[in-house]
Amino acid sequence: MSLPAPREFAVFAFATTHDALDAEALLGDLGFEVVPVPAPPDLSANCGIALRVPPEDGDRAATYLDRAGIEVVRRATILDV
Amino acid sequence: MSANGAATTTIYLDHGATSWPKPPGVAEAMTRAVTELGGNPGRGAYRMAVDTSRAIHRARTDVAAFLGVPDARDLTFQPGCTQAMNLVLRGLMRPGDRVVACSMEHNAVARPLNALAAAGVEVVVVEADEAGVIDVDAVEDAMRSQTTKAVVCQHAGNVTGAIQPVADLADVAHAHGALALVDGAQAGGHLPVDIKTLGVDAWACSGHKGLLGPQGIGLLYLSPACQPDELVTGGSGSGASEEPLQPAVRPDRYEAGTPNTPGILGLHAAVTWLRDNGEALRAHEAALVRRFHEGVLSLPGFRVLGPDLGVPRVPIIALTHERVATDRLAFALDRRYGIATRAGLHCAPWAHRTLGTLQTGALRFGLGYGNTEADVDAALEALAELGEELA
Repeated sequence: MSLPAPREFAVFAFATTHDALDAEALLGDLGFEVVPVPAPPDLSANCGIALRVPPEDGDRAATYLDRAGIEVVRRATILDV
Repeated sequence: MSANGAATTTIYLDHGATSWPKPPGVAEAMTRAVTELGGNPGRGAYRMAVDTSRAIHRARTDVAAFLGVPDARDLTFQPGCTQAMNLVLRGLMRPGDRVVACSMEHNAVARPLNALAAAGVEVVVVEADEAGVIDVDAVEDAMRSQTTKAVVCQHAGNVTGAIQPVADLADVAHAHGALALVDGAQAGGHLPVDIKTLGVDAWACSGHKGLLGPQGIGLLYLSPACQPDELVTGGSGSGASEEPLQPAVRPDRYEAGTPNTPGILGLHAAVTWLRDNGEALRAHEAALVRRFHEGVLSLPGFRVLGPDLGVPRVPIIALTHERVATDRLAFALDRRYGIATRAGLHCAPWAHRTLGTLQTGALRFGLGYGNTEADVDAALEALAELGEELA
C-alpha cells in the first residue's frame, strides 16, 4: 500500500492525555479532520499524544479549543503522511 | 448439601465487604480490556493505545458526571479507597497540623491517622452517638479553639450503615478554614452522590462495593483547593520525561504508572448500569434492609447496631446476640445455610469501641444488588433457628 505524499499539518500539544482527548472529542464533534499523533520532538515537553488538523483548519480549531477552555500548551506545523 | 454436610448454595449477604455478583456488562468490559484494548493508555499514539486512552477518558468523564464532579480532571482512578484515603491524609498532613476525625472511621482512615499522630500530627477524635452518627455541633466545638487543617469523616458507616451529615460537616469545616475529607466507601452506589452539592474537598470510594465494579479499582475526587502531595511518582505519559518531578497537572499528578485498564473499564460498565438502574436498586435495597431490620427485631436475644428502624441507612445491618458469639453464627450460617456474612470488627475498631462491641464484634449483613426478599427471609429463618439452638 502506498502512503500519501507528506504534507503540512497543524499540530497541537496538551498538558495531559485527558486534555488531548477532550480536544479530540470536541473537534471531532465539530467536524474537524482530527487525528491523534505522537507528539513531535519540538513539542516533547508535553503530552505524548498531540492532535493534528489540516493546516487551513489550525486557526479555527485553536479558537474552538480556547472557547472550550482546553489549554493548548504548544502549536506547531509538521510534515506528515 | 455436600457430602460433608456443608451447604453448597450461596446467599450472598456480604455486600459491605464487596459486591457480588456484578451487573451485566462488567465482565464483558474487563474482557474487552484484555482482548482488544491492549495498548498502554497515554503512552503511545498508535491506534490501539489511543483506543485504550479513549476508553479511559470516556470512563473518567462518565463516572465524573455520575458523581456530580464539575471537572473530570479532578477525579482520579486509584487502586482502592484505602489507597485514596492514604494519599489524602498522608499527602496533606504535616507534623504540627491538626485534624478532626469521627470515631466511626474504618482503618483506611484510622490507621493513617494513628501513623500521622505518631509523626506529630494532632488527631482529635469526636465521638459519635450510640447509633454511630456524628454530631456536627460536636465537630464544630472541636475546631473552635485551634486552627484545624481538615475534618475527616465517613459518608456512611461500614458497621452501622449510618449516614453521616457530610454536607453539613463540609460547611462547618469551611467556616473554620479547614478542608472536608470524606471516606465514601460505603456510600457510592447505595446513596445518590453529587460532589458539587456536598461541597467536600476530597471524596474517596471503592469501586467494588456499592459501585458494583471489580476489586482493585477505586476513585478519588479532589477539589482544586485540596492539593495533597502525591505519594507515588513515576511514568505519567504526560509532561517531558526528562523532567525530574511528577507533573503537577491533574489527573496525571495522582496516577503515576500504567493504569488498571480492566478495572477502570469494569467500573465504567458498572457505573453505566447504576446510572440507568441505580434509583430502582436503591429503593429495592431500602425495602430489603427494612424487612431484615424488622425481622431481626422480632427475634429474641438479638440486638441491631446503628440507627433505629425507619431511619435511613445504607443497606447494612450488624447485630449481636446476648448469648451466642457472632463468629459462631457466621460460621453456621455459611456451613448449614450457605449464607455469606461477616463477623468480627470489620476493620473498624474505633466504630466498635464507640458502639461498645470492641470485645465481642458483631455479625454484619450487607445487602445489595442481586438480593431478594427470599434471601432476607432465609437469613431471618436461619437466625431464628441458630438463636435457639446455639444459645
